[in-house]
Amino acid sequence: MSKPTDLVQGTLDLLILKTIALEPVHGWGIAQRIRQVSKEVLQVNQGALYPALHRLEQSGWIRAKWGESDSNRRAKFYALTPAGRKYLEQEEANWLRLSAAIGLVLEIS
Amino acid sequence: MRWIYKFRLRLRSLFRKSRVEKELTEELRFHLEKLIEEKVGKGLTPEDASYAALRELGGVEQIKEECRDMRRVNYIENFAQDVRYGLRMLAKNPGFTAVAVLTLALGIGANTAIFSVVDAVILRPLPYKDPARLVLVKERIPMATPEPIPVCAPDAVQFQRQNQVFESVAAFRGGQFDLSGEGEPERIPAERVNAGLFSLLGVQPVVGRAFTADEDQPGHSLAILSYALWQRRFGARPDVVGRTVTLDRQPYTVIGVMPRSFVFPLRGMEQGDAADVFVPIAFTHDELSAVGDNFNNSVLARLKPGITLARANTDVDAIAYRILQTYPPEFRDRIKLEAIALPLSGQVVGRVRTLLLLLLGAVGFVLLIACANVANLLLTRAAHRQREIAVRLALGAGRLRLLRQLAAESMLLALLGAGLGLLLAFGIMQGLVGWMPANIPRVHAIGLDLPVLAFTLTLAVLTGLAFGVVPTLAASRTDLNSTLKEGGRSAQRGPQHRSLRSALVVAEVALSLVLLVGAGLLVRSFERLLATQPGFRPEHVLTASLSVPQVQYKQDQQIRSFYRELIARLQQLPGVKAIGASTDLPLEAGWEELFTPEGYQPPPGAGLNLCSHSVILGDYLQALGVPLLRGRYFTEQDKPGSTPALIVSESLAKRYWPNQDPIGKRLKTGPPESKDPWLTIVGVVGDVKQGPLDAPTMQHTYESYEQRGLPGNSLNVAARAAGNPASLASALRAAVWGLDGQLAVAQVRTMGQVIDESTTPRRFNLFLLVAFAALAVALAAIGIYGVISYSVAQRTHEIGIRMALGAERSRVLQFVIGQGFKLTLMGVGLGILGALALTRFLSSLLYGVKPTDPLTFVTVTLILAVVALLACYIPARRATKVDPMVALRYE
Repeated sequence: MSKPTDLVQGTLDLLILKTIALEPVHGWGIAQRIRQVSKEVLQVNQGALYPALHRLEQSGWIRAKWGESDSNRRAKFYALTPAGRKYLEQEEANWLRLSAAIGLVLEIS
Repeated sequence: MRWIYKFRLRLRSLFRKSRVEKELTEELRFHLEKLIEEKVGKGLTPEDASYAALRELGGVEQIKEECRDMRRVNYIENFAQDVRYGLRMLAKNPGFTAVAVLTLALGIGANTAIFSVVDAVILRPLPYKDPARLVLVKERIPMATPEPIPVCAPDAVQFQRQNQVFESVAAFRGGQFDLSGEGEPERIPAERVNAGLFSLLGVQPVVGRAFTADEDQPGHSLAILSYALWQRRFGARPDVVGRTVTLDRQPYTVIGVMPRSFVFPLRGMEQGDAADVFVPIAFTHDELSAVGDNFNNSVLARLKPGITLARANTDVDAIAYRILQTYPPEFRDRIKLEAIALPLSGQVVGRVRTLLLLLLGAVGFVLLIACANVANLLLTRAAHRQREIAVRLALGAGRLRLLRQLAAESMLLALLGAGLGLLLAFGIMQGLVGWMPANIPRVHAIGLDLPVLAFTLTLAVLTGLAFGVVPTLAASRTDLNSTLKEGGRSAQRGPQHRSLRSALVVAEVALSLVLLVGAGLLVRSFERLLATQPGFRPEHVLTASLSVPQVQYKQDQQIRSFYRELIARLQQLPGVKAIGASTDLPLEAGWEELFTPEGYQPPPGAGLNLCSHSVILGDYLQALGVPLLRGRYFTEQDKPGSTPALIVSESLAKRYWPNQDPIGKRLKTGPPESKDPWLTIVGVVGDVKQGPLDAPTMQHTYESYEQRGLPGNSLNVAARAAGNPASLASALRAAVWGLDGQLAVAQVRTMGQVIDESTTPRRFNLFLLVAFAALAVALAAIGIYGVISYSVAQRTHEIGIRMALGAERSRVLQFVIGQGFKLTLMGVGLGILGALALTRFLSSLLYGVKPTDPLTFVTVTLILAVVALLACYIPARRATKVDPMVALRYE
């Protein structure tokens, strides 16, 4: 039932976790923010976003809470759990190591 | 802590499903609205914007399903779905469901009922403290009988004193008391017990106290009541302690009441039925000085911790050797006395273990057949559902998921069957308990309790797997392409599928043949038993048992005149043709005594001269209809003072005086040295079955009451009636109470009833095994019918073509029946082999029939063959009715 964690998927998880690390954000907001921060480079596939959120919630990394959005409408906000915060740190470190390594390889060739 | 959080989420997803769903919808709608807002902001019309947004988002439903997947509770929901779907499928095929559930219910119900008996009787430990360390000490006189026998009173005391292996030892001896006072006098089972018995068993009275060691001496009239008697006769009043009850006209002070759960003795302890009253055994001086006589006390002992049975056996055997040295020389030189310690549980359940395990095996067979039948039904249905399964596979259902769903259906069937089976078992058990023969111990403990329920549940799961796995695997192998391509054609299964069904039927036939042979052998045994001549004419004979209490009838003269007067009065009754009395009734005696024929030289290696013996009064032999072969019956001339007369049985006369006239020959009781008077034979009568009908006939002697006097104070009255003997019963009671209003008239039965009671254990075995065999055959017949009619239905097309090409109806009939018959023959062949291998376990239950009795084998094979033919004939006839035109168009 779990999707294979290929690079894209793993990346999406990391992006989501990082995006909500500062404050609770709803699904729409997460997509928007990733797009803005990456300067329109990363377009989150919206069909993949929600399953990813639900999976992260089931895994206990993030938790959901209903709240008021800026336009005064009810929206589901996601925030990191303490376990999720640790997990993010780990994954961030992994990612940096990995991208640095890839960078090294690319420079050499 | 993360897992708690996760667990809560799962629970929420599972049980607050609608809420979670609503939230999911709302979340996605929010996203969509935002998306639309954005598009409108970019200048699209609201309508275009919403279309664009939906396109961008992708299918909302797909996203939802993916989210649901992510919530990881699908497998539980799937399970619920499987169960729901299974129930719906079962409900849609009520015929199939009913047959399958009923078949399983019969199998599981019968198994549960028999298991509940096995559990209560065999498996559960005896209801005493640490029963594994309890043993019965028995003696053995190999020359008289190879079986261990109870212990004589002085020896019981020696075992108590001399042993080094037992924590405690207690003797007990069964008997009966006339309980009189309030209400009708009643004969109740009683037990004389050593004071230490209750603590040995780890049981104490619920009310009052147990006996003390001091009270275990003659001269204490104390009684402890059973719970049941306390409830029944004394209204469960706690002030019963200290009150006086009248037992055999003697006052006894009640000192206690045993707990409800206390049942003692159990059958197999050789001291009768569960006692209603306990008194101290308090061996009298006379009893203790009767060395080497009256081997009729049971001795119970508790092994010291760490002492093995072998060690105990050595110890008691050594004691027996020392005891023998104290016996009179005429015994000491001639016999060997041994002793043995036997585990109590083996003694109690040993005799019925074989029978019960056999019955369990038999119902097990029935269940296997039931499983095979249901598997066959499922296979048939799987064939019909092949297209459904193929379509589901084509639409993307996982094979595993399909397997799970089919397995759920099988389990549902099994559980439904088990549920109905439990109800059935409850009914069967009610019937069984009332019917149970007297030799099965602990019947009172039988019930539907936890172990039995656990057994049923296990059985349900196992059967579900057993009959479910085959069709499920078959279905999962469905070849998608060919099935779908077959289109509208009725699915024709591959040959391996058909052979699977055939194999199941062959197995069913084989199993039911084994059961039939077993049942057949028991039927033949019973037939033989009923054909066994008891040696007397039981019709028109009424019997009753009387026991005059010693307290009131102190003098032998009083007892004599009571019985004489009673017989005289009964003789006057209209409708009485002959009347007499005896110490033992036929079929229920069994004690053998040593005797010495005058001038008889035993051939080398001959055993002891033993015969059973009764003392008779009045026209007892005439009343029973025992034929006189030579000489005469007892008459007036056989009175005290005249030559002591004896009547012997034919087999005794023939053994000791072959080819001679036994009249006038003499014998005496006891060994050659005995001082007993010589008895002169005045008559020879036919052999009577003194013991059970199926036991070898014993040699027997009759002495006259007038000359010998009465050993003890009990007599059994036997009256031959002109008409229905039962109608004499009230006149008999009235005559007894006319002489003594306080005397209990016990066991008023016709001789027919006595015979019935002696054959009850066999009737019970017979009934059960025949019922199981009949059930098995019926199920097997249904199995054959199912397979043949299915194959006919499948081959309608082929049969139609054959008939269109000119095949005759009789050929078609032959062809179809032949097909079924081939299966039957294979099953019968296997079954005969199985029966030959298994029936030897039956041999202890057979009488006059060998376990390989050819007649039985042939008969039951024929019965099975006829049933199988019938089962094939119905579908075969249907095949001949096939209209070629219809059959051809049908496709």
